[in-house]
Amino acid sequence: MQQGWIIAAILGLVMVTPATAEMARLSDGDLSDVAGQGGIYLSGDVSINENGGPIQNAYFGTCDEGSKRCGARLAFQLKANGGWMVLDDIRGKFSFQGLTLRVRNIDSGFGGDGAVFNRDVLEVGLPNTVRYDDVQFTLANSSTARPSDPGFQQTDVFSIEMQGDVVLEGNLLVFPTGNP
Amino acid sequence: MRRLYDIPAPLLMAFVGALPAQADMQRMNDSALSSVSGQSGITMEVDLKASADRLSYFDDGAGIHVEGLRIGSATDSDGTARHVIKTDILQDASVNLDYLIEDRRIEFGDVTLEGSPGAGIGGVFLDQSMEGTLTLSPGGATADGYTFDVNYEMTDGRLGYRTNGYEVFLDGVSMTMNAPGITLDEVGGALEIASPSVTGSYTVDAIRYSNNPQNHGNSTDVLTGNALPSYGSLSGDFDFSSETTISAGGRFGSEGLRLDGETIINSANVIYRDDGNPIALRNITGSSEYTDLRVDVAPDWNGRNGLALTLGELTGDFRIGSIELGGNGGSIGELAFNYRFADRAFNGRDYTNAVYVMGGGHPDAGPQGLRLAAQWSLADADFAWTEDGNTVIFSGLQSWGQGDVTVNVTRNQTINGTRFYDGVRLGFDGVEGGYRLNGLRVGNEDADLQGGTELLLALGVYPAYDFELDGQVTLGAGGATGEGLTVNSDIQITNGNAAILADTYDDGAGEQPQKGLWATDLNYDAHVRDMTVDVTDEGLAIVEGEAWSTMDIGNLRIGDKNSNGSFGRFVLQSYEKGSSMVVKPGGAGNVCVGGTGGSASACQSSGGIWEERGQQGVTIALKSILARAVSETKRNAFIWETNRTLGPDGPENGTGTQLVLNDIYTSDGVDLDGDGKEDNTFGIRTDLNVDIYQTKVVKKDSGADANGVVGNRGDEKIMDSSTAAGYRYVASPTDSEKDDRPLGFAVQAHSRFKELSVNSIDLVHPTGGAATAIQGVKLQNMDIKANLTATPIQ
Repeated sequence: MQQGWIIAAILGLVMVTPATAEMARLSDGDLSDVAGQGGIYLSGDVSINENGGPIQNAYFGTCDEGSKRCGARLAFQLKANGGWMVLDDIRGKFSFQGLTLRVRNIDSGFGGDGAVFNRDVLEVGLPNTVRYDDVQFTLANSSTARPSDPGFQQTDVFSIEMQGDVVLEGNLLVFPTGNP
Repeated sequence: MRRLYDIPAPLLMAFVGALPAQADMQRMNDSALSSVSGQSGITMEVDLKASADRLSYFDDGAGIHVEGLRIGSATDSDGTARHVIKTDILQDASVNLDYLIEDRRIEFGDVTLEGSPGAGIGGVFLDQSMEGTLTLSPGGATADGYTFDVNYEMTDGRLGYRTNGYEVFLDGVSMTMNAPGITLDEVGGALEIASPSVTGSYTVDAIRYSNNPQNHGNSTDVLTGNALPSYGSLSGDFDFSSETTISAGGRFGSEGLRLDGETIINSANVIYRDDGNPIALRNITGSSEYTDLRVDVAPDWNGRNGLALTLGELTGDFRIGSIELGGNGGSIGELAFNYRFADRAFNGRDYTNAVYVMGGGHPDAGPQGLRLAAQWSLADADFAWTEDGNTVIFSGLQSWGQGDVTVNVTRNQTINGTRFYDGVRLGFDGVEGGYRLNGLRVGNEDADLQGGTELLLALGVYPAYDFELDGQVTLGAGGATGEGLTVNSDIQITNGNAAILADTYDDGAGEQPQKGLWATDLNYDAHVRDMTVDVTDEGLAIVEGEAWSTMDIGNLRIGDKNSNGSFGRFVLQSYEKGSSMVVKPGGAGNVCVGGTGGSASACQSSGGIWEERGQQGVTIALKSILARAVSETKRNAFIWETNRTLGPDGPENGTGTQLVLNDIYTSDGVDLDGDGKEDNTFGIRTDLNVDIYQTKVVKKDSGADANGVVGNRGDEKIMDSSTAAGYRYVASPTDSEKDDRPLGFAVQAHSRFKELSVNSIDLVHPTGGAATAIQGVKLQNMDIKANLTATPIQ
C-alpha cells in the first residue's frame, strides 16, 4: 500500500540526513525570528519487541521463554559467501516529548552567519529528554543469515543494555549541499 | 379505451412532455380527495409504443441530437407501456391527474454532436412503474403563476448507461416522493421554480454491470440465467427545498440557457450496502447556491464542440453527521465541508469552472463513450473531521486544473493495443492540476491558522500537490465475494511537485510561495490489477491482486519547490502481490502513552499518561506483501542518486552516483506449502489507530515564545480562548486544564514482520559501474509499537 512507502520515505530521509546536518540549539528568541510557524510537534513512545516478535521456532519465542530470544535480529553480509554481522535480540522502549519537524528560513542570528547563509532548512527539533526502558541488543557474528539455516553457528561478541534518561537538546538542521 | 401505436415523433414528445412522469407531482390528501368526490372527469388508458429516429436541440446553429428514442415496454422490446390517467377539475379550479404507469421504458441509443461524426456519448434507458398524483392550481408565487402538488411512488425502476453494447445500471429502483406547493412563475423574463419541500426515500436493489450486449436492460445474464454482477445496493431518504431561475441566453452566442438557484438539504441519509454490510452517511445537512450556470452547445478551449456547462460561482456547505462503516456499525466520526468554486488565477494562469460534454470516450473503446473536457477552480474550501467531539479543520483548500476525463463501459479485451477491463472505465487524458492546503485550525473555524497539514501524510495525502495526470481506473462489479468492486488501474503522473512538509501559502498578508519539503520533478507510474473492494463486518476491505509502481523524485528540495538546492534524486519502486488494507471505524480506545498498564492507575504508576480516546476514529490495518523482483519495473527498490551531470533542464537522471537497495522483499522464512519456494503470506502487518485527541505539549525553553507568550521550560501548553494568543503555559495543570491540552492527531501504530530482506546494497558509479557494498541484509522477528501524538506548531 502506497502510504506505507510515503512514511518509509520520510523515515528514510531522517535516517540518511545526518551526513549533511549540523547541530544548533535554537532559543525561543531565535524562534521569534522564524518566518512561518508550520510543522508538527511529536510526542509518544516507541517499543521494539516488547513481548516478542511474530516468529515462533526453536530460536525465537516470547519474552517469557527464557531459553529463546524474543528480540528482533538484523544480519548483514559484507563479503560474498562470507559470514554475517548480526545485531541480535534487539528490544526496548523509547519515550519522548517534543520532537518537532518543520521547514524554517535562516537569515539572521548564529553570530552573523545566518544572514550570510540565508537559506531554508529542515529543522528537526530534538526532544529535551528521551527515556530509555530496557533498550538492549547483542552484537554477534554468524555463519548464516538465519538461525534456522543449516550449519548455523553464532558467536556473541557483546551485549548492551540501556536504561534511564538521555538529554537531547538543540536542533538538527538539514539542508542540501554539493551537486544534486 | 384508446390505444395508440407508433405515434409520430412530434406528437409523441408533446405527449411525453405532458406525462406525469416528466413533471413534479403531489399525492392528494383526504381533504383534497373529498373535494374530488362527485366531480366528473376523464379517464384515459393508453398502451404506448413510440419511437423517433432523432430529436435535436440547436443552440446558435450547433446541434445536439438524441438518437434512437423509444418509449414502450421495459420487459418486451416490441411491447407497450400501459398508462392510465384520470383527470379531474376540482372545485377550486385546479386540475388533478391521478396516474398509473406500468412497465415503461424510455430510452435512447446515442447522443451525438454536430461536427463530431462517428462519436456518440452513448445510450440511456429508464424503466419505471409508477403511481401518483399531480395537481395543477392557478396562482404561484405571483397571481399569474401556477402551483403544482406532486406525489408519486415508483417501483421496478432501472436507470442505465450503455456504451458499445456494454452497460451499467441501477436495478430494482423504488422511490417515493412528495413535493407540495411547487410554484412556477414568470418574473422579469425568467422562469422561477420554487420547491419549498421535497421529501422522499429510495432503494436500489443492485448496481449491475453487463458485458454482453444481449443482456440489455435485464437483471440476469441471458446465457446463464445468473444475476448480473453487482457493485452493491443503495438506499436513502431526503428532505430538501430548492429554488431555480431559468432564463434565456447562454455564455456563447445569442442562444442558450442560464440557470441560477439554491438548494437547502434539511436532512438526508445515504446507505451503500455490499452483501448487506453498510457504509452509511447519516444526518446529512447542507446548502448550496449557484449563479450564472450557462448551458450552450459550443466549442471548448481546443475547438471541440460539446454541450457546454459553464459556471459563474458555486458556494455551499455540506455536513455528514456520522460516517458508519461495516456490519458492526461503528462510526469514524463527522465530516463537514464548505466550498466556493469561482474563477481564480493559480500559478499565473486563470481558471474557471466548466465542463464540455462530448462523445467518444477512449478512442480505442469504440464509437460510444463520454468525454468531459473539464476545467475547475476551487477558490476556497475547508473540511473538518470531528470524532468524539474533537475537531480538526483543514483550512484553505484550493484546487485547479484542466483536462479530459473519459467514461466508457468496457469489457475485458485488448483493442488496438489498449487493454480494457470489465467495468466502468474512467480515463484521464492530459489532466494538469493541483491542490494545496493553507493550514490547520483546531477546535473551530475561528481558531488561529497554524501549520500541521502534513499530519495528513498519516492517511497517505500530501498537503500540496501539482501534477500532470494520465491513465485509467476501471471499476468492475463484484468484489472478493458477492457484491463489491474490482479495480484495475494504470496511472501516470508526470512533472509533479508534492509537499511532504508545507507551510501556509497565505498567512494573512497575501499569497506567498509555499515553503516546505518538496518532492519535485516527480514522475509516478502505478499499476493495480484485480484489487477487490468490499464492505465487511469489520469495515472496508481492500485486497490487491498485483500492484507495482515507480515513484521517481527528480529532486527533493527544501523551501520553495522551485529552489535550487536539492538532496538529489530518490526512486522508490514497489512490487506487491496480495497486499491488503482494512479501514475500520473506531480508533485506539484507551491507551497508556509512555508507560505500561491496562488501567489509568497502573499506567500512571508506571510513569505513563492514560488517554481515553473514545469510540470514534479510524483504524487502518495494512498487510504489505513485498514480492521478489521479477523485472526492472516489478521490484521493490530504493535508489538515491546525487552528483548528476547538469543538463539544460537541470540535473540529468542516471548520470550521477547511486546508492541502490536492490530487491527488497518479505518472507515467512519457511516453505510450509511445499512448493519449493519460501512462503510470503505474512508480509509487513501494520495497524494504525488514528484519533483526534489532546496531547501534552511542553515548553522547551524558558522565556517568551514566537507569539510572545511567556513560560518556563517544562511548562505545559494549555489552550485558552480568553488569552490573546489562544493559549498559555501552566507549570502544573489541573485536571480541568488538562482537558484543554492542544488537539492533534494521535496515532497508535503496531507494525510487525517475520522477515524483511534486501538482496544487495550497491554503489553505482556512472562510469565505473555497480559495486556491491553489502551482499545481503536480513531483518527478522520485528514487532514495533508506537504511540505518537502529532500536534501543529503554533
